Amino acid sequence: MLDFDGTRRERRRQGLLAIGVVALALILYALPTEYQSPVREGLRATVLRPFLAFQERISQRRGRTIDVGAIRAQRDSLAALVTAQASLAEENRRLRSLLALQERAGDAFIPADVLRVGVATAESTFMLNVGRAEGVRVRSPVLTPDGLPGVIWSVDEKQAQAIDWTHPEFRVSAMTADGLAYGIVEPRHGRYLEEALLAMTGAPFHVDIPPGRRIVSSGRGGVFPRGIMIGTVLGIEEADTGWRKSYLLRPAVRPESIAQVLVGVGQSSRQADLSALWHVSAAPDPLGADSLPPLPIDADEDTN
Amino acid sequence: MARSKYGFSIFVVILVLVHLMLHVGLGIGESAPDLMTVAVLLAARRMRATTAALLGLLLGVLEDALALVSFGASAVAFSAIAVLGARSRDLFEGDSLLFVALYLFLGKALRDAIHVLLTEAESGMLLSSTPIAALYAMFAGIIGVGVYRAITGER
Repeated sequence: MLDFDGTRRERRRQGLLAIGVVALALILYALPTEYQSPVREGLRATVLRPFLAFQERISQRRGRTIDVGAIRAQRDSLAALVTAQASLAEENRRLRSLLALQERAGDAFIPADVLRVGVATAESTFMLNVGRAEGVRVRSPVLTPDGLPGVIWSVDEKQAQAIDWTHPEFRVSAMTADGLAYGIVEPRHGRYLEEALLAMTGAPFHVDIPPGRRIVSSGRGGVFPRGIMIGTVLGIEEADTGWRKSYLLRPAVRPESIAQVLVGVGQSSRQADLSALWHVSAAPDPLGADSLPPLPIDADEDTN
Repeated sequence: MARSKYGFSIFVVILVLVHLMLHVGLGIGESAPDLMTVAVLLAARRMRATTAALLGLLLGVLEDALALVSFGASAVAFSAIAVLGARSRDLFEGDSLLFVALYLFLGKALRDAIHVLLTEAESGMLLSSTPIAALYAMFAGIIGVGVYRAITGER
């Protein structure tokens, strides 16, 4: 370290070199994601690993010290989700064997601890202590007993990063719990993150959805299983000149409150019907399950 | 007392480690001050522009590794404020606490402004949360500098 930079010529040289370093940072910023990911993954696995491991230990220790009743309730709810999924998987297995179809492997939801990264660049995201090794893939759904907090966006070997519903790119195909109206749910931001709400857009104009009506995932698109609680209607947000309506929703899950989650692994976790878990009475999708093919699980997405 | 080269380097490293422990290890978000920015700004005042920019780039990439999108935004923001911090010596000499406070406040606000420019963050945060975050970083930095000066006897 120096107190002064010396001559004018030296200062000019320093200035040019410094601008070169800023340009290098800009190049890094403009690099395609596939080149950025190895750097990100490498730093998380080395320099940042002790800090992330520390939070993992804290999270596990906190789990042992907080109210046992609350933990038990949360555990029971998660167990109910897993059990229901297991019975669906079993039924699926039996039907497939009756139809002489091939078995699909690795169909389950696995539990994971939520790790918070308190830097501004990681806003609206959370990390999970499960990764590629456990079968987690990009776009795997993340569930809690209360509903849908988010979706996996990036996967490392031992960790994954998910966006929560406050993230600008979060979208989920949704329907009313009675199946009368379908739409797309997306975030609506307030001045502060805590004021964020959800909105169901593209709902048909001729259907009125009263406040308090529950909105769940519709299963269309094959990213999120059908029937996961998303939120309840607060009121109408916008009516678009006789074509469609948007409704503001109170989210079922506040991202800042989640500590343990279930992560879907395998294709059938996306195609499952979890309607019974949230007591959804909707009739089968009028478009049919096969009307929109599910998004493929692509190995290249892992480094997204 | 003469400025201690190694003492100040250790001080900067401690600021970075405390920042990572608070924000990553303990997962505290905005409730903890942005000591990474404070470290870059304070170090930049004692470094050549190139070295300061490299330090900013390095710490920025470290912070970017935790981000899901806009990888490199922190690297650009940190290296830019580091260059400006190093160049600020040409305009302002001296290290009075009042000057350091103003320098840290403006530096943090500029870092956030660059970050908003490069990411999809709400531009409204520049008027709502940035001034508070800048004040918080300023107070944390002043306390840090005060402790450092008390320990080393530097003025």
